[in-house]
Amino acid sequence: MPQPAILELTNLKKTIKGKEIVKGVNLTLYPSQIFGFLGPNGAGKTTTIRMIVGLIKPTEGSVTICGYSVAHDFVKALSNIGCIIESPDMYKYLTGMGNLLQFAAMDKTISQQRIKDVVEMVGLQHRVNDKVSTFSLGMRQRLGIAQAILSKPKLLILDEPTNGLDPAGITEFRNLIRKLAYEEGMAVFVSSHLLLEIQQMCDSVSIIKQGSVIKTANVQDILHDDRIEWQLDNPEKAIALLREHWNIEAVQLKKNTISSDINEHPLDKINECFIREGLALTYCSTKQNTLEDLFLDLTEGDEIV
Amino acid sequence: MLNKSMWYSILTIACVGFIVLSIGFYQSIIVTTSANPQPATKAEVPQTIPASTKLPSKNANSFKVLILGDSVAKGTGDEKNKGFSGYLQENLKNSTPKDIVVDNAGVDGLESIGLLQQLQSRKLDKTISDSDFILVSIGGNDIRSILTMNDLAKEDQFKVRMDSYLANLKLTMKTIRTTNPKAIIIFLGLYNPYETASSVEDTRLLNTWNYNSQLLIEQDGKAIFIPTHDLLKFNLARYISKDGLHPNSAGYQAISNRISKSVEAIITGS
Amino acid sequence: MKLFSLIENEVIKMISKKRLMFVLAILIVLISVFAYGQNQSQARTRAQLSQRMGISATTDWRKLADQQLIDLKNRLDSPYSDEKSKASTRVRMEQLQYNVDQNINPLEQSSAKFTTTFMEQAIFLFLPLLIIMLSADMVSGEYSSGTIKLLVVRNVPRWKILLSKYLTLVVLEVVVVFFAFVLAAIISGFFFGFGGWLAPVATGFKVIAGKLDTTGVLNVPQWRYSLMVYSLAFFVAFVVGSISFMISVLVKSTAASIGIIMSTLVAGNFISFFLADWKITRYMFMVNLRLTDYLSGSFQPVEGMNMIFSITVLLGWAIASIIISFVYFTKQDIMV
Repeated sequence: MPQPAILELTNLKKTIKGKEIVKGVNLTLYPSQIFGFLGPNGAGKTTTIRMIVGLIKPTEGSVTICGYSVAHDFVKALSNIGCIIESPDMYKYLTGMGNLLQFAAMDKTISQQRIKDVVEMVGLQHRVNDKVSTFSLGMRQRLGIAQAILSKPKLLILDEPTNGLDPAGITEFRNLIRKLAYEEGMAVFVSSHLLLEIQQMCDSVSIIKQGSVIKTANVQDILHDDRIEWQLDNPEKAIALLREHWNIEAVQLKKNTISSDINEHPLDKINECFIREGLALTYCSTKQNTLEDLFLDLTEGDEIV
Repeated sequence: MLNKSMWYSILTIACVGFIVLSIGFYQSIIVTTSANPQPATKAEVPQTIPASTKLPSKNANSFKVLILGDSVAKGTGDEKNKGFSGYLQENLKNSTPKDIVVDNAGVDGLESIGLLQQLQSRKLDKTISDSDFILVSIGGNDIRSILTMNDLAKEDQFKVRMDSYLANLKLTMKTIRTTNPKAIIIFLGLYNPYETASSVEDTRLLNTWNYNSQLLIEQDGKAIFIPTHDLLKFNLARYISKDGLHPNSAGYQAISNRISKSVEAIITGS
Repeated sequence: MKLFSLIENEVIKMISKKRLMFVLAILIVLISVFAYGQNQSQARTRAQLSQRMGISATTDWRKLADQQLIDLKNRLDSPYSDEKSKASTRVRMEQLQYNVDQNINPLEQSSAKFTTTFMEQAIFLFLPLLIIMLSADMVSGEYSSGTIKLLVVRNVPRWKILLSKYLTLVVLEVVVVFFAFVLAAIISGFFFGFGGWLAPVATGFKVIAGKLDTTGVLNVPQWRYSLMVYSLAFFVAFVVGSISFMISVLVKSTAASIGIIMSTLVAGNFISFFLADWKITRYMFMVNLRLTDYLSGSFQPVEGMNMIFSITVLLGWAIASIIISFVYFTKQDIMV
């Protein structure tokens, strides 16, 4: 991409109490990109995010935002960020508007009008003058998003942003993020456990396991890979045939079911072959790859390290 | 918004307050550390000793008495204006052919610390070393203020005050002795001018005070403790002056008689 | 400039938490109780005295005062009194003369006297307690509620954020001391009348070679004395505030930080009694809080301790606390 990178993580490492939590993460994000960050519990997602926003200092490596190093040019780097980390903890004894005013006071570029616009964007116009202690979880989440986008940041970092939102809220949120990314050119970095959400919202994902990124891919490409499932009487024979004739690896799922990515290979020819070789084919269907499949595959049910 | 106006008033109070308090702070430092800010307004103290009751003549033919202490030492309350200075001289005259010379350095309102400071100023050194008898009356002013306190505070304050007084007294005795190892020191015990209004508790405190004074004084072989409490206890009407606090002429005479009786032998012997 | 808006933010937070109101409310309640109590005990003592020594002893203070004036004059004129006691004698005479001239019974309490003695008694424990209530959760509160994340992930360097909190604390310290003065003066005024501000008060006591030296003793008007007392109180508030601020930064729990600083303060009273012989005791901040005792000369002279010493020790503690707070806060990883 000819545009300059918004976020660059270079060999980011973090050791806490002798344990290496993040083992060298490299990542680049460009404007208008919605990026998903996935991993099992304890993989180092939150630690990485904390290093990006300067809450934690990396043991090694660097974080660069819009060309500014977080370590050396903190103020300039952070001017381009808006973020929500885990639950957005607001000052409960202030009103929604009071909280936003606090953040606005810290950044001279935020005008009164901007605050009003943002409040409308997240749909809190009617409750923003009530004390946050009276807010529901969903409203607090919205307020969190509002505070994150107040300064029109170039990079939006969201850690579990849809927690507590109802389905309508989640859809609204998705649309808002899309709008911010495509219309306003924000790069968005989302970390979430809701794989379906990530699949629907993100352009590309990275999967992190035990502190290292094990796969980075475009969502489209992942979904493109279809899997085929066959139910037959002799799974081992079918697996051998696939390997022999087309060099396709298949896995046996249940007793009589095998599954495989056949990519571009012709399904009709494969089925023909099975029947010709005497296999009783009772069932054949495509199963669209989901992120969940990929995720579970790659992480193979890890224990939390 | 309400918060905004509060913020401004807080800010104003803080700024003004800070300036005012800084000034005060600077002042308190000055007051407690720098050299004397106040010059003496009274004239300098003359170094000479005022005339005593008779022409002083330091020879083997005169007997010198020095009276130290508070208003009782001074003789306040005597309608004839004689006090110990007068009556002691009259009493002792009969016991010896020598001249009796009396010096009086009593100060109204003096407390034990004041007496000690007076001695430590060294101004009286010459007089002390020349004296044969030194009469001391001190402690009344130390103890007086305690009697007006309420009971709860009294016991604690008494102990504190008494310890302080005894410490001063000890140093006083030491100072006198260092200057004059030979003189006889006569120490007057305290009486109670408020006898009629006093509780059993107050009497106990007074006796404790006197007892401890006596213990201390008589550690010195050449000192003697002369009680006055018993003498005046039932004789307030006779012996106390109109101010209700000091002895009157009869009172001073009575006490003087006691003193002279106690030390007669020493005088005639010399 | 930005720091100014940050301080405004912090003050607004403190007001919204109702913390400042709470502290002022405590002041009002306690001052009222003390003033009332003093009023009662005064009446009681007066009754006792009259009963013992006749009514004349209390209402006829003039005679006593006149007598004392004469005594003092004689003492002053006596050739045997030394320079040292002359100053205190003169001072005492001025005070008595003032009472006689203004027709004020010296036993009577006044609003000015109460205001001064209130702070003299409050300076080493009660005032620090009020300050701690404001300072203890300035930083640790942000940790326990999680709001620290949003506060620090801004385009403002961490040290500036901490500085805004610290300066807010200083602002509030001034406000508390100011209100303590005003409330004490007004509330006690209802009990004892609003006067007494011009009465002479003795000060100028110095510590020379570990002993109380009264040669420089002089009288200052009560209002000036009160001002000095309250400015020393502010200094103590400043120091205690800095220390508890540091503890709030290091210990991220509000309850623990209050516990630590309070027990240290209370221990201070024990320490000056039990460990009076240790050389180290002098350098602990808690035993140096009674700065007003130097003004009034009512202290036990401890080897080497005087006003300058105590102020220096306290200032050292404050500066160390500030440095530690800033270094720690800017360097640490925030895991909340």
